[in-house]
Amino acid sequence: MWIVRINMTDRSVKFEDVPEKYKYLAGRGLTSHIIYDEVPPLAHPLGPSNKLVFATGIVTGTSAPTSARVSAGGKSPLTGGIKESNAGSPWAHDLAVMRIKALILEGLPEDKKTFWGIHLSWDADAGKPRVEFFDATEYTGKDLYEVSPKLFERFGDRISFAGCGVSGEYGYGNAGIVYNDLAKRPSRYSGRGGLGSVMGSKRVKFIVIDAKGAPGVEIVDKALFDEGRKKMIDAIRSHDITKPKGGLNSFGTAVLINILNEAGGLPTRNFSSGRFEGAAKIAGEALFETNKQRLGKELYNHACSPGCIIQCSNTLYDENGKEITSCVEYESDWALGANCGIDDLDAIGEMVQLCNAYGLDTIETGCTIAVAMEAGVIPFGDAKGAIQLIHEMGKGTHMGRILGAGTETAGKVLGVTRVPTVKGQSMPAYEPRAVKGIGVTYATTTMGADHTAGYTIAPEILSVGGKADPLSNEGKAALSRAFQATTAFIDSSGHCLFIAFPILDIASGYQGMIDECNGVLGTKWTADDVLRIGGEILKVERAFNEAAGFTKAHDRVPEFMKREPLPPHNQVFDIPDEVLDAVYAEL
Amino acid sequence: MTIRIDVWLYGELAKYGGEQAKAGFANLQINLPEGATVADLLTQMKMPTEERGITFINGLLSAMPGVQPDLAHVLHDGDRVAFFHLRSMWPFQYRHGASMIGELAQELTSREDKGIHHDYRHERSG
Repeated sequence: MWIVRINMTDRSVKFEDVPEKYKYLAGRGLTSHIIYDEVPPLAHPLGPSNKLVFATGIVTGTSAPTSARVSAGGKSPLTGGIKESNAGSPWAHDLAVMRIKALILEGLPEDKKTFWGIHLSWDADAGKPRVEFFDATEYTGKDLYEVSPKLFERFGDRISFAGCGVSGEYGYGNAGIVYNDLAKRPSRYSGRGGLGSVMGSKRVKFIVIDAKGAPGVEIVDKALFDEGRKKMIDAIRSHDITKPKGGLNSFGTAVLINILNEAGGLPTRNFSSGRFEGAAKIAGEALFETNKQRLGKELYNHACSPGCIIQCSNTLYDENGKEITSCVEYESDWALGANCGIDDLDAIGEMVQLCNAYGLDTIETGCTIAVAMEAGVIPFGDAKGAIQLIHEMGKGTHMGRILGAGTETAGKVLGVTRVPTVKGQSMPAYEPRAVKGIGVTYATTTMGADHTAGYTIAPEILSVGGKADPLSNEGKAALSRAFQATTAFIDSSGHCLFIAFPILDIASGYQGMIDECNGVLGTKWTADDVLRIGGEILKVERAFNEAAGFTKAHDRVPEFMKREPLPPHNQVFDIPDEVLDAVYAEL
Repeated sequence: MTIRIDVWLYGELAKYGGEQAKAGFANLQINLPEGATVADLLTQMKMPTEERGITFINGLLSAMPGVQPDLAHVLHDGDRVAFFHLRSMWPFQYRHGASMIGELAQELTSREDKGIHHDYRHERSG
């Protein structure tokens, strides 16, 4: 395996052997260690010293189910801290089978007008990947749905790509990295933290992979791997949430809309209420029934990436049976819907499509539009106005550039005090005043407010906090710490985080994940090692952030959440600061 | 004396809403005698309790799949009760610290697993 280093200052390429210290690292573990080791913490995120690192997970590229995941890492233009943003795509599989353990983009060219494409293919004679450059300037300034088909026309149907949209070319804080899905849509995203702009700053538009002839992933102990794989498949296929025609396959992640709404925890109209009167009209269940009425048949969801057996990606069709978009995730549905007071599913679908077209993170975009609504730029509930604001971001108008900078910056420019961010990143769709546990994770994660930073994957976690009652404040700190550590491990394993749902309830699935990793690497990890390895990743991320200037004061939710009671429960976020501080003090 | 309950049914449970069923949900008002319980409400709607999973009373979690300590919970005029189908979900990390009715809080706290699981219909080895 190699670490492939591409310096965009002079477009030089180096193949490096994997150093011993990185041997067992992958995915988020590897991107975060490389950023910590190589990027000066005070570097400007869009300057020459920042790096953009891609690393696939331990089992990515193998036959392990639901594991075509890639981590993108760098110093975030949005938060100013370390960032890992994870996505599922055929591109992840293709990068892994080329035996590229990490792909590092560094430097930046003097000529800012030319954007480059990087083409990776397998050189059978040399027995290693071949790296070539092509002028990609012709693909800039355009809708990704317009330009991505041209990549397939030019390089063949079997390729996959990573890239940035116009948002990354402009340098927005809300620019994601786009990847293709299995139907060639530019719709899979490492959305959060503005990493699309790090790519754009280096004048890289696309990284195309043609994995034909690539050797695949080496597996040290195939029998153990197969045993683990079987356990994982059994767990996923038998759990109500992840099985075929189960919750995720039927309704997608938007199945959570009605639940959080009933719980009074669905942030509505820029986090001013926990309940949205139009929620049931935009929820996953409504989406399923709407498609059924429009298509005359039940439609179950599809895989975003090869080998996924959960298959949670939905598609929304219009009244003529034409695709509006794929897919309407819970977070996108909420951010562009409830949080903007919009209850029109078709309009939400159109906004998701536009975010994909321009390369925007749907969460940051929705939260920013809601802040603009609060400022009176357009009224809450104005779907047409919201669509227009997304176009402004795509076209790079003055207002578009302000909004593209992200929720916190837009809040400052527009004079809004209710700005739902932590470390400069806008909050996802779980209100901390109604669901206090997630507030602890939002406040303390190294990533800025992030709903994917703390997943529950094993009941053993309960014992991590000693005898602390998980409902107590002490218990909340201990649990959040354990959740964050185990999540950092899953983000390194190559599995999608959604395997957490079945393996929490089915213990053999959890063992299956560990067996798969041990099978690939030849390690002898146990459940204890999962926490240890995850904890080490968090320590490195935390150390980077501290050196970048983050202190305990940054591990806080915004002030308004401590002062303004949230309807309908009329609660404030009342977790004491000492609890938040305890999360990392005891790591 | 009757009380009126604001009932929300989600997913396939919308069929118990009869003519009130919309795309993916139903919202109906049900009249019950004073002192009626969740069990009485289910009987009135002819909905078997096994068909429901996550349940809320006035935004407070009252049941999870297989854990239903709310059957004897007495309802009051104007209460909002929401029943979810069994394919719905609310992972622990997204409900940890959310409000529950007393009966459910007591039930989950007394369990060794502290209510960390999603589904309790078939007790799992984990």
